[in-house]
Amino acid sequence: MTSTPAVDDIVKSEYEHGFTTEIESDTLPPGLDEDVVRAISKRKGEPDFMIELRLKAYRHWLTMSEPEWPAVDYPKIDFQAISYFSAPKRPEDAPKSLDEIDPVLLETYNKLGIPIEEQKALAGIAVDAVFDSVSVATTFRESLAEAGVIFCSISEAVHQYPELIKQYMGSVVPHTDNFYAALNAAVFSDGTFVYVPKGVRCPMELSTYFRINARNTGQFERTLIVAEAGSYVSYLEGCTAPQRDENQLHAAVVELIALEGAEIKYSTVQNWYPGDAEGKGGIYNFVTKRGDCRGARSKISWTQVETGSAITWKYPSCLLRGEDSVGEFYSVAVTKGRQQADTGTKMIHIGKGTRSTIVSKGISAGHGRQTYRGLVRIGQRAEGARNHTQCDSLLIGDRCTANTFPYIEVKNPSAQMEHEATTSKISDDQLFYCRSRGLTEEDAVSMIVNGFCKEVFNELPMEFAVEAQKLLSISLEGAVG
Amino acid sequence: MTTGLPTGFEGWVAEAARAASGRGLEWLEARRRTALEQARAQGMPTSKDEHWRYTSLTGLREQAFALPTEPLTALQRDDIEEALIDGLDSHRVVLVNGRFIPELSPLEALPKGVRIAGLAQLLESEPDLLQGHLNAVAGDDLPLFAALNTASLDDGVVVIVDGGAVLERPIELVHLSVGLDEPRVAQPRNLVVMQAGARATLIERYLSLGDSLYCTNCVTEVSLGRDAHLAHERIQDESPSAFHIAGLYLRQDTGSNYVGINVGLGARWARTDLCVRFSGEHADCDLQGLYLAGDGQLMDYHLDVAHELPNCRSQENFKGILHGKGRAVFDGLVFVAEDAQKTDAAMSNRNLMLSESAELDTKPQLEINADDVKCSHGTTVGRIEPEMLFYLRSRGISAPIARRMLCLGFAGEIIDKLSTEALRDYVTEQVGQRLESAPLS
Repeated sequence: MTSTPAVDDIVKSEYEHGFTTEIESDTLPPGLDEDVVRAISKRKGEPDFMIELRLKAYRHWLTMSEPEWPAVDYPKIDFQAISYFSAPKRPEDAPKSLDEIDPVLLETYNKLGIPIEEQKALAGIAVDAVFDSVSVATTFRESLAEAGVIFCSISEAVHQYPELIKQYMGSVVPHTDNFYAALNAAVFSDGTFVYVPKGVRCPMELSTYFRINARNTGQFERTLIVAEAGSYVSYLEGCTAPQRDENQLHAAVVELIALEGAEIKYSTVQNWYPGDAEGKGGIYNFVTKRGDCRGARSKISWTQVETGSAITWKYPSCLLRGEDSVGEFYSVAVTKGRQQADTGTKMIHIGKGTRSTIVSKGISAGHGRQTYRGLVRIGQRAEGARNHTQCDSLLIGDRCTANTFPYIEVKNPSAQMEHEATTSKISDDQLFYCRSRGLTEEDAVSMIVNGFCKEVFNELPMEFAVEAQKLLSISLEGAVG
Repeated sequence: MTTGLPTGFEGWVAEAARAASGRGLEWLEARRRTALEQARAQGMPTSKDEHWRYTSLTGLREQAFALPTEPLTALQRDDIEEALIDGLDSHRVVLVNGRFIPELSPLEALPKGVRIAGLAQLLESEPDLLQGHLNAVAGDDLPLFAALNTASLDDGVVVIVDGGAVLERPIELVHLSVGLDEPRVAQPRNLVVMQAGARATLIERYLSLGDSLYCTNCVTEVSLGRDAHLAHERIQDESPSAFHIAGLYLRQDTGSNYVGINVGLGARWARTDLCVRFSGEHADCDLQGLYLAGDGQLMDYHLDVAHELPNCRSQENFKGILHGKGRAVFDGLVFVAEDAQKTDAAMSNRNLMLSESAELDTKPQLEINADDVKCSHGTTVGRIEPEMLFYLRSRGISAPIARRMLCLGFAGEIIDKLSTEALRDYVTEQVGQRLESAPLS
């Protein structure tokens, strides 16, 4: 934009009285200004309070600049070249059959053992209404409703439960938090809302995978999970199959709120398109994830397996405010080819007796670049706080990078904190041992790597853990030798 | 303070500019001018600057300092008696307020092949000898305070040990500060050149007569030739009102061995930057540190160890004891370049917090670009284990004594590495005294 802010203000001011521009097409033209923000909100038929929230975030976003501190390189993003709203795809635009899909993708699906119908869905092929998952999803929703659990899209929640949205949205990740969180708050497309009432143990693992209408949530996803006192919920995000997506920039925001004695378990398997061998065309994954342990004895546990995306920039964090609350972070990140990942966590100990565990396993192969960046802050009132951090890096090949940047701030002497980090490669001895027992080099590496990651995989829900192991083996194929 | 001098960044730059004379040496003047430009371009860092994230410069900014002009020559041997360590047999060099004092530096008995002199002296007599060495290790890309030091570079100590020469007795550099009517900044520049196969022990001490307010901004450049060996023991015990800024720049050639022990006890605000580079393979660098931070004190250590070449080993082991409202910062970075295979680096920072209001920020970082390396780092923060205390109390030892014993035991790991017994005893006593007066809660 070349016009001065003063002129902009005057130009925009008339819209404050309720005028909006009418844009006809399904997809908004590229560019971002207040009209676009209003248009997004209008198209989604949102109530007034949402428009206000979005505009406030947008105006704040204008004052911010893109963060440059992560250890990742990418060409500057032109935020005016992105289209911020696209209606769900019409069936006629989608690929007609699996024949039109990249054979490499299909090969991976087959290796992961994904059923043919699922493959079509993942590849973005228009599927007809009799597709199995629809009925599965319906059954799921019924049993959830019985338990009183709300599990729906954010758009739906805005209409049906505006009070909950008003109370909780933005309370953990405010729009002022960071550049991408502000952008997300202004233009978020859709996402998931989960509300678990008091004392309820959610009867099943919740997953967007089963929420048919959650497909195509677009690039600015927003997730909000609220666990009332004494409740429990486990949420799975993403899936192991590589996902095709037109949008290069993904800036999601995830907010978790755990009240007294509640527990939230959030597992992610991220396998977006990492780009070609030169790193072109891959997804930029800039995510803000934060959990707030508001109540005493509450617990939030993040588990992530990050294998995809050209650039990952993600720090799932825990605010440990309630007394004796617990935060956990288990992560496996793989970078290969030209992938770059700057990931880690923040554990902010505020309440007494708070505990946190960080286990981060980084695997860097080829020209991969990987950074663990973590903060452990123990506040003055966090009497008896406890933290244990372990970050291990495994290097495969002599052109990859593994960085470890931990920040530790302690203001209470009763705190006990330990941090350990190691960096190593797969030793020749280990390989020789496996080879001498008749394993191929690739199988041996896969076995050793899986052993390296076991601590984290153990935290994943069972089905996910199995898939994650397979995924890891496939990801590292050809990385050795 | 009503010194009439400008405070903060302007004050520093103005003083540095005022000092620029260069003794008529073209190359020196040029180097000083460049450094001054660099300092001007940088400005005073803020907490947004990653290297100053946890270190507030407010106190330093609000204070004006003047550069001392003439050396203080009135001091006699008796006046500095209290600054000496009993039983330490050394080749002693004394600097007062950053100026080399020949009268207090008896350097007659130096073995063959060892040269120790004042920097200003040598700049007058043999400037050509220095041209190739000054700034050779620190380089041209200097951070602010090293740039300011270079901009007013004039005096300090030069130690040159010829190839194969071995010093039996340690060299002791005593940086003494004497309070004057207005707060002064001393900016000594030390140069240590160890030629191939040379061996020596260098003790650097920073201390003051009296409790006056002043600032030391020193830079020490050390270069170790092939297979040279240097034990470098630095004891910072400045006045409790003083500011201390130290930059150590080390370059090690093939097979050389450096053991650096950094003890931080004094000053209200102390910042130390240790910067290590290797110019040959199979070199070994061992950085040890011990710091005590009490009420109103800040101890800030920054380590920048870059393994650009394969087969080098480095170890960074820093331990801290915090009491009262003490604050400490540890920011260590080990960098391993793409081709620096077989690098072995281990970094550790362990801290003991004795009081409710102490604060610690630590950032042990690894940046690794090669796969066949062994790198690790570890950090711990904790208080004295109640079980240990109970054990000692159950043997009839009072709580304060038991605590002190445990703290001294914790510090002992570093103190024991000092090469001379006299120095070990001295540091143990200093640490013990400070713990005694510390309100141990």
